[in-house]
Amino acid sequence: MAISKDSAVENARNDLAKRLKINSGDVKEKSVEDADFPDMALGAPEDDEMSGQMMTRGWRIKLEAQGQTFEYRADKNQVRAYKFKGKNYRI
Amino acid sequence: MNRNNIFIHIALALVLVLVAAFAGQLNKWRKSWRPARFVPIEDKKKTMTVEDISLSEHSFGAPEILVKFKSGVTQDAIDRLTAERNDRVEDRIENIQGWEAIDDFDNADAATLVKEYQQLPEVEYAEPNYEINLDEAEAGPLVPILPSDPQFTDQWALSNSGQRGGKKGADISATLAWAKTTGSEDVVVAVLDTGVDYNHEDLTENMWRRPEKMEPYHDNELGTIDDEFGFNAIDGSDPMDDNGHGTHCAGIVGAEGENNLGIAGVNWKVQIMPLKFMNAGGSGSTKDAIEAINYVIDRKKAGVNVRIISASWGSTQKSRALGEVIRKAYENDILFVAAAGNSSVDNDRTPHYPSSYDSPNVVSVAALDRHDALASFSNYGVKSVAVAAPGVDILSTWLGNEYEEKSGTSMATPVVAGVAALILAEHPQMSVDDLKKKLLASTDPVAVLKGKTVTAGRINAAKALE
Repeated sequence: MAISKDSAVENARNDLAKRLKINSGDVKEKSVEDADFPDMALGAPEDDEMSGQMMTRGWRIKLEAQGQTFEYRADKNQVRAYKFKGKNYRI
Repeated sequence: MNRNNIFIHIALALVLVLVAAFAGQLNKWRKSWRPARFVPIEDKKKTMTVEDISLSEHSFGAPEILVKFKSGVTQDAIDRLTAERNDRVEDRIENIQGWEAIDDFDNADAATLVKEYQQLPEVEYAEPNYEINLDEAEAGPLVPILPSDPQFTDQWALSNSGQRGGKKGADISATLAWAKTTGSEDVVVAVLDTGVDYNHEDLTENMWRRPEKMEPYHDNELGTIDDEFGFNAIDGSDPMDDNGHGTHCAGIVGAEGENNLGIAGVNWKVQIMPLKFMNAGGSGSTKDAIEAINYVIDRKKAGVNVRIISASWGSTQKSRALGEVIRKAYENDILFVAAAGNSSVDNDRTPHYPSSYDSPNVVSVAALDRHDALASFSNYGVKSVAVAAPGVDILSTWLGNEYEEKSGTSMATPVVAGVAALILAEHPQMSVDDLKKKLLASTDPVAVLKGKTVTAGRINAAKALE
């Protein structure tokens, strides 16, 4: 089933809260923008992950917690944490 | 020599002269009766030459000239203009808006008529109606072949007429290539991707099926697999596409042409072998990519004429094992066409794999837009990226009998793989080394590619068939 923008933001917020071991209420939405990503891993491939080289429309989600900004990337198929502590994660 | 012998020799000579004269007349009649302007589909494998193309002077009702009227000129105005000259519109040319075939009741020669019409302010262009003979020599100018597929006019990559503000002629000259060949069902192209919707209306006739006499595939890890429609390296199940990307790439290589549906592929006829190693999200693992390439090699060894792998994917991670299996494909005479990547970077400095492996069968492909500019997202590399091809706003097949426009070096890659398949349709025995050489020698120079790719050119299918 296709992921909507709202549910992508919600998934991202919950994922960040889990990674930081905080309540999701302590994660603030900084911005959500439409974006074109360079590939089907949304420019955020995990290690050993190959992806289709097709420009992919999605959303760049920026969240704030513990005084820092964290980036997530999403499209209708997936949500990814972008360079969380230097690594990408498909959630 | 006695008197009787002399009479016999004279009689024989007379007979020979009469036979020669009759043959000459026959040839003349034969030429007079050639009616064609467009090359019939069933004859499309034949070639045309300068000698084959001559002005149609009488041609038994064939129109003398073809005229393109400026947009906005009404049909009534066209009829009036032609009637004033004792001419008539014999036919409107389908698929090329604004073109009319015009016949002259006075039988004036075509050159005079062309001149006359070109002087009219309502006319954009006029040219003689060339008569084509399909049954002779080898080389020479070709006449474009236009397919009946209704969305062909949106396929700027194949024929860029300047639609949507593009640069006229910034295409791969597919319509000229098709005068030589529209592909062959003997050539198998493996599309290594998210699978392929093999039931798509515009693909189903061009899909590979495991030959009945061939045993199902056996994989050490997955066991025996019913690979009737191809191979799914993820779990051994059906290689049906659940994303769309693989179906899009497959359509670029070989959506069925001239079937009055959707689009035309670079090949109208070909066999597409679906290989699935990427999931519904469009990503997959190196291990599964290796498994799928192994499958291709095994099927090649088993007798399937799979000569090309189209790989519209990648990452910056280098895998020695993936590099080795691609080289193994080379040893089995299989070309590996790969996307250069979409990060706007120089692959000479930041390699992108698999396109940056130095195996001799790898052809790395950058993307161009409809203006002949390097796509803003496209990677490049004067040492590591071989060639460029159209890759922006490319219309192709999508899931559920749909058609969508997509952009990426993903889309440029199957264009080049498709051209390679056309070459093999004409030269089935060509080695992978020669095939790659031929591809790299078949480009149109594009200024912005100088210093950006090895060939500094856009792939040209017609040149590839010269």
